[in-house]
Amino acid sequence: MKRIALAASLAILAPFGVSAQTTDQLVKGATDTSNVLNYGMGYNLQRFSPLTQINKDNAKNLVPLWNYSFADDRSEESQPIVYQGILYVTTHAATMAVEAKTGKQIWKTKVEYPPETPRIVCCGIINRGAAIHEGKIFRTTLDANVIALDAATGKELWRQKAADIKEGYSMTVAPLVADGVVLTGISGAEFGTRGFIDGWDPATGKHLWRTHTIPTPDEPGGDTWKGDTWKLGGGSTWITGSYDPELNTVYWGIGNPGPFNSAVRPGDNLYTCSVLALDPKTGKIKWHYQFSPNNPFDYDSVAEMVLADINVEGKPTKVLMDANRNGFFYVLDRTNGKLLAANPYVKVNWATSIDMKTGRPIETDVSKDAREGKKVVVYPSILGGKNWEPMSFNPQTGLAYANTLAFGGHYKTEPVTYKAGEWYLGMDLTDLWEWGDGPRGHLKAIDPLTGKTKWEAPSDIPRFSGVLSTAGGVVFSGQLTGEFEAFDANDGKKLWQFQTGSGIEGQPVTWQQDGVQYVAVTSGYGGVYSLFSGDERLAKVPAGGSLWVFAVKPQ
Amino acid sequence: MIKASLIAAAYFAAAMTASAQTSPGAPQPSAGVDQAQVDQGKTTYARTCSHCHGPNMVNGGTVAPDLRAFPNDRDRFVTTVKRGKNGRMPPWGDVLNDDQIATLWDYLASRRTP
Repeated sequence: MKRIALAASLAILAPFGVSAQTTDQLVKGATDTSNVLNYGMGYNLQRFSPLTQINKDNAKNLVPLWNYSFADDRSEESQPIVYQGILYVTTHAATMAVEAKTGKQIWKTKVEYPPETPRIVCCGIINRGAAIHEGKIFRTTLDANVIALDAATGKELWRQKAADIKEGYSMTVAPLVADGVVLTGISGAEFGTRGFIDGWDPATGKHLWRTHTIPTPDEPGGDTWKGDTWKLGGGSTWITGSYDPELNTVYWGIGNPGPFNSAVRPGDNLYTCSVLALDPKTGKIKWHYQFSPNNPFDYDSVAEMVLADINVEGKPTKVLMDANRNGFFYVLDRTNGKLLAANPYVKVNWATSIDMKTGRPIETDVSKDAREGKKVVVYPSILGGKNWEPMSFNPQTGLAYANTLAFGGHYKTEPVTYKAGEWYLGMDLTDLWEWGDGPRGHLKAIDPLTGKTKWEAPSDIPRFSGVLSTAGGVVFSGQLTGEFEAFDANDGKKLWQFQTGSGIEGQPVTWQQDGVQYVAVTSGYGGVYSLFSGDERLAKVPAGGSLWVFAVKPQ
Repeated sequence: MIKASLIAAAYFAAAMTASAQTSPGAPQPSAGVDQAQVDQGKTTYARTCSHCHGPNMVNGGTVAPDLRAFPNDRDRFVTTVKRGKNGRMPPWGDVLNDDQIATLWDYLASRRTP
């Protein structure tokens, strides 16, 4: 008790008194260089900062300022939120407020969940971060609760149970606050769940709406499922959507269908492997675009839907960009969902191309054979051409910087029966990978409209870190072997690196405070690659979560 | 670049050593163990254990224990599987029955690092 009271009083005494931050500030998040208010460093999820104090000339002088231990040895995939000199960061087990200049903890609030929970968590014991709105911090918990904390004290203000772990549901997503509504998604498409997106009242936690990602038979799209298959159809929603305040539209990616064995669920299986355009106030679907109909290969389309205004055939166009797990880089008109470009950005053999008229993939025999139960070698593997780790779009270079994967997979279906709370896959998990001889991943600078690579930085063990780019011409990323890295945005030349002590699966952010540009990233690995690859080279990389903050040392 | 390729070479060497010691996917014959039990254990493992302990028990042993190095202590194994451990390993006692846990143990024995 004494300790809690002390923490609370320290928070009040903190030099940066927490004043309520507003909806208007969230809208301006992408250009607010003194704070990091949104997941993705802006509603557009560009992860681009206009800051230039750290640039390609002085990045070599970056030094660590402090390190904050999470006292946790799971995967640290959380993106810090920064507001008025305080970092808000999460793990699966705690939410923390840390003073940005000093690394001193202001408060730490533990998260507890039933010990059975990890049974139904497919890909790492993690949390991806918090959202901030009017003095409250919002987050999800592994056992599928949504909670609000007082930003000043860490005290829990409200809690809502979104779903039941006994039915295979869990939560790792960072919430999105859009148009005064807290939006959250769900994980669990590997466990026979039926996905959804929820809307909550930030003040009270009142449940406002739920939009299922798998329609009932009488809803639009319901005819893309046979019989009762929709009930276990998957379509999870575990990455935060983007938001266009002018169009008042949220763009949320939808995950893979369940089970993987697509023979069980004939049809297109809407809205799996799709993007939904939603009204944040009601959850109503404005339009959808499906990347991979009836997908056998776990080509989740949850990963970030990046918004930008770019020239398409000479016309300024409001677009949405997605480096899809299926290996194609998509550009859509975000006002209506029309396909503008779709080109491979990694090796692809399940489809030859995307039909620009219908928007559907033109599949090869690899897909046909896989559906018929034959063993195939498929590119990309079930981990995709890019997994969840977010890319950055730099409007100055016009390039997307993404950590991509350069290996294929072995795929063979198996019969499958549903049992609540257990894997519902229908796939042979004992022989998964076609590694090849070269590097298993590349940080690539990709032209969104052609999918072509301008430069690439290979890595033997693939990178699973988020990417950050800045107007200083620097691209930040990290290695599973622990190095936090800076590259020249124009040619990919390595400018600097620093060993953080554990593998990096975090999401770097940057902001400027009292004349100093800071860069923060979490270190600590244990995500999907380390769990599923069987890559024993990682035996030499210790687990252990912490938060690092860097700046350029004055010369 | 030199540093990068040096690191790469070191990893490559480590990987070669590792694969010389154990051959993933090729269980060693183990006297007195019914192969059908081992196969069943392998299937159960893939369904309930592999998403933390790695495909075919191959992992780095840092995030979750490398079960190929688990001590030859059947009671400890059964207790841990049933009850979980240290708030990390979840309890499976209500999902897996004694026979299934027995096949997991047989599979583990077949995968043990010599």
